[in-house]
Amino acid sequence: MALCDDLIEDARHLVQRGSLENRPSCKRRAISTAYYAVFHMIVDDFVEHWPFPDQRARLGRMFTHQRMRDTAVKFRDANKPTAVEMDLKDIVRALGQLQKDRHRADYDAGWVVVDTDVAQAITSASDIFARWRSIRNEEAVRNHLLSMFGAKTED
Amino acid sequence: MYVPSAVTKQAEIDAAISQVVADLSPDVVRIRYDIGEDWSGQWAIFFRVVLSDDAARRRLRDAITNVVVGLAHRLDFSSMGVFPYHNFRSVSEQAVLQEEAWA
Repeated sequence: MALCDDLIEDARHLVQRGSLENRPSCKRRAISTAYYAVFHMIVDDFVEHWPFPDQRARLGRMFTHQRMRDTAVKFRDANKPTAVEMDLKDIVRALGQLQKDRHRADYDAGWVVVDTDVAQAITSASDIFARWRSIRNEEAVRNHLLSMFGAKTED
Repeated sequence: MYVPSAVTKQAEIDAAISQVVADLSPDVVRIRYDIGEDWSGQWAIFFRVVLSDDAARRRLRDAITNVVVGLAHRLDFSSMGVFPYHNFRSVSEQAVLQEEAWA
């Protein structure tokens, strides 16, 4: 099982524990873990194509959270985006949301996390998993992944 | 100092919010927002959405999608220079927390 799949499962377990034991720390860890599940899914999708397995982790560490969020989704025809491009745009927005909530869960001790916050993070991460995996081999997605890594576009 | 155009478009934002709340009632009870910088220093608009207990418990995925799509359909966030964030809580959760920013 890939790390990202373990992490999303861990996030769900943390939700259950946080709810059963009413532990705010578990709720925070669930949000954080949900984000990292998505982060590693996307990074792994890129590095798995690198032919040298012993270098993949190092390559993956070149991804930065901010660039992954800020890389704009390019539409081939701005007036008529494709379904894949729209899916990709939704994924990037949801990634940004999770990233912000992860940051808050990890650093803002004053944030009172409610069950809806946690459910939102898990729902969003699960949706990103499903949507990304359904379009991961599309050309627009492969190009976007390359841009998230830091490759410049031609224009 | 750079200030995003969203700051000057609050009437437009308020109007869009009113429409979304009207369209999605009773699941969506109210929406509040702030404009400011996020954790990375990027300008953002932070929506705080209060949902009915039923929507938060039984239809959270749909409620999130409807709010996100409804606002994005009416507001061009990239031309406003902000990244949109949406956070949700139920009426019951807000009743316990009593946070003014969500009232």
